[in-house]
Amino acid sequence: MISFSFFPLPPEPATIHESPQHSLHASHDMDIDLAHHFLHDSNLTLPGETLTSSHAYMRGHGTYVHNEEVIASVAGTIERVNKLVTVRALRARYNPEIGDLVVGRITEVQPRRWKVDANGRQDAVLMLSSVNLPGGVQRRKLESDELQMRNFFEEGDLLVAEVQAFFSDGAMSLHTRSLKYGKLRNGQLVSVSPALIRRLKSHFISLPCGVDLILGLNGYIWVSKHVKENEQEGEEGFDAEAVYSNQNDEIDMPTRSAISRVTNIIRVLASHFVPLSDTIILDAYEWAMEQDADVSEMLHQDNSFALISAVRGRK
Amino acid sequence: MPATSTISLSKAEKSYIQTGILSDPPFRADGRSLRAYRSVELETGVALLANGSARVSIGREGINSGGGTEVIAASKLEVEDLNEDGVEGGRIVCTVSCSPAAYPHLTSNALDELQEDISTILHQTLAHHSLHPNNLGILPGKKSWLLHLDLIVLSDAGNVFDAIFMSARAALWDTRVPRTRRITYRARKDHAEGQYHIDADENFSGFDTRRLAKATDFELSDYWDEGEVLDGRERWPVCVTLNVISQTHYLDATLQEEAATLLRLLLVYSFPPNSPPSLCGMRLVGGEDSALPDIKDFIKEGEQYAQELFISLDAKLREEDLRRKQKAYTKFARSR
Amino acid sequence: MEVLNADGYRSDGRRQFELRSITIDLAQHGAADGTATIVHGLTKVFVSVLGPREAKLRSLTIHDRANVNVEVNVAAFSSGERRKRAKSDKRVLEMASAIKSTFETIIQTNLYPRSQIDIYIQIIEQDGGLLQACINGTTLALICAGIPLVDFACAVTCGVYANSPILDLTTLEENDIPNMTLAMLPKTGSVNLTAMESRLHVDRFGDLFEVALGAGRVIHEEMKLAILAKSRMLVAEMKTIGWGEKDLVD
Repeated sequence: MISFSFFPLPPEPATIHESPQHSLHASHDMDIDLAHHFLHDSNLTLPGETLTSSHAYMRGHGTYVHNEEVIASVAGTIERVNKLVTVRALRARYNPEIGDLVVGRITEVQPRRWKVDANGRQDAVLMLSSVNLPGGVQRRKLESDELQMRNFFEEGDLLVAEVQAFFSDGAMSLHTRSLKYGKLRNGQLVSVSPALIRRLKSHFISLPCGVDLILGLNGYIWVSKHVKENEQEGEEGFDAEAVYSNQNDEIDMPTRSAISRVTNIIRVLASHFVPLSDTIILDAYEWAMEQDADVSEMLHQDNSFALISAVRGRK
Repeated sequence: MPATSTISLSKAEKSYIQTGILSDPPFRADGRSLRAYRSVELETGVALLANGSARVSIGREGINSGGGTEVIAASKLEVEDLNEDGVEGGRIVCTVSCSPAAYPHLTSNALDELQEDISTILHQTLAHHSLHPNNLGILPGKKSWLLHLDLIVLSDAGNVFDAIFMSARAALWDTRVPRTRRITYRARKDHAEGQYHIDADENFSGFDTRRLAKATDFELSDYWDEGEVLDGRERWPVCVTLNVISQTHYLDATLQEEAATLLRLLLVYSFPPNSPPSLCGMRLVGGEDSALPDIKDFIKEGEQYAQELFISLDAKLREEDLRRKQKAYTKFARSR
Repeated sequence: MEVLNADGYRSDGRRQFELRSITIDLAQHGAADGTATIVHGLTKVFVSVLGPREAKLRSLTIHDRANVNVEVNVAAFSSGERRKRAKSDKRVLEMASAIKSTFETIIQTNLYPRSQIDIYIQIIEQDGGLLQACINGTTLALICAGIPLVDFACAVTCGVYANSPILDLTTLEENDIPNMTLAMLPKTGSVNLTAMESRLHVDRFGDLFEVALGAGRVIHEEMKLAILAKSRMLVAEMKTIGWGEKDLVD
């Protein structure tokens, strides 16, 4: 089953900008006016644009100071909080903050630590001392633990963790010392731009369709079968076998289908640059169920546009 | 072969994918059926300075998300001297280069190996004599065309071989060979020696070798004409990659699915008009030690998938021909 | 070849100071953090930026800033005559190193110690002004990837014909007249790259510089418009579905 389509035309005139042949002097002034118009109507700025004086304001992320001026260094929206000016880039790698919830993948096992890809400027570090070890949460670390680090996490493994601290070079250090954190099973990963995930009250979301979501602030999202609270926790019985298991549970067909549907919805929303929250995903899911759309059909262009306008309509 | 997997998955992710494909009914991570392709986009005529070109993308998720497998292919013709590297009747050379952006985790040595390997597969299949076009000769015994087919893999989100063969077929379909005519210099007997007369013969067939000895050079017959299509362009093959997990196989694997699949079987088929389809290439990638008892069945089923792919691609290519003719026409009309 | 005819027109119908049409496409491609396709006339370049990310080789890390890695790949079919250039081709390496040195001073690399920023440039069609297209395309792709820059880098190719400057050269013109490529930072008007392969009389330099700087500003406006149009579209997309205030904690 295969069908061919045309390459999508870029939305006019947003991404393709074709200028008529211009001579050096004639079109110069006009272009500047147009650019200024843009700048004023939408709070947007660009690298090299002066934002304000450095006497009156302090520079935040996405800016730098030169000749007593605060100047933007990224393209994005200007935000002012009291005396602090920041520019939020519309799309960038994940910029971590302490306490953030992230989903990451082990890239390397090193002595007493793991390296973790978390979509950041460099790999994060998970220290052996920052994970829960079998035999009780409070147990002391043993030398034998070092020798069997791959029994806990090995290359390729996915985990959910919290940003604990930063090293001097800016690399983030993670920890999984909570029963909510740890190795991920029973589902699949979908990654989106970190700009689409903002800090929510909770990043663990249970959808009524039997699907759990973990919205990593770094743009990695884990979509999996719902696990009942009491199975997940139970302070007494921290079960290392279960926590570090690589075995998936039985997953029935309706759940599998729901996981795929949620994944595809996230991909469609992300492809339209719609920020993700539990309500939006749920709205989209309900709409998709009403339409009785085939799971894979949702990714087709027409259907994805229909989904987006339906979700917009509900708001 | 290095192409087996460029990303790493956890054991749980692999088993999730495998269990889905092996369950009854099978279920894939994005909800597709085992035989369904992701959306495929195709365009011909993308490189202005080439004699034929095409761009293919599989599974791209729009202008804000990117993703997908993207390949550009273009052909370029060069005149070769038979005394040097040239071959009577012309020849075809295929080269694939992979952008480091497509394989961001590979070292440059691994990348070189990968493109070498893909080039070999493509070249061995397309340069085979059974597919050779008849109109790549220019002057028998003297000059011929060398057709370079160059491909660039811009991004790989799985199933790169199907994309490569699709774009190769599209670029070759799109290729125009300049019309040439021969020039003979002959001494006229009734004049003094050393005086020559140029005789340009317009109705000289490229396959007519009877007057072979006399033609010594050639010229392009028309500057404004873009030339004629490659002879036998319907024959260029398509590839279907069967991804095999125990007894089941599926098509158009994503990168994640490829990482969870041990065995891949590339099958390349040609569907020449008025003759039976032929298997013109086969390659096993990865796999366990166990031999394939079902390989005959795979070949049979593969032919069916390839035929479907071939028919859709053929329709798309004809649609592209039409679109570009219309575009050229409106451009011409506007300029008047 | 006659570069400028008696009526003051060039072989492709342009005037002396006229730039070729510029087309910019900032759609995302593949797994890159930012991509840009820029077309100057018949020269077309596709740039992918990855990073800042973990360095592939530990030996490549720099302790106090990011390592900028530039790789240029010339498609064999990009020029009139087919030519396969190896990655180790001297001209290609020279171009990559010119691009690297241009952007090392513009990217705020000190924000990303030990990281790596990869700039992969694919040349798809070439008709002169190759370095110009590569630099402009790289600026755009870096901005799309959200990598902080001190300013845009705007590049222009220019040459001298009959004692007077001429802008944005085609391959035919480049082969015929002395020329150079210059990259300028519009904010300060400073120049951080001049690349020249031919001789140029020192007296011509002043004029040429001035005209090229003016052209750099025009190209800057074009690039700004493209980036703003894309930003505006993304902001509009993000806003259409409002965030419930209750969802947000900060």
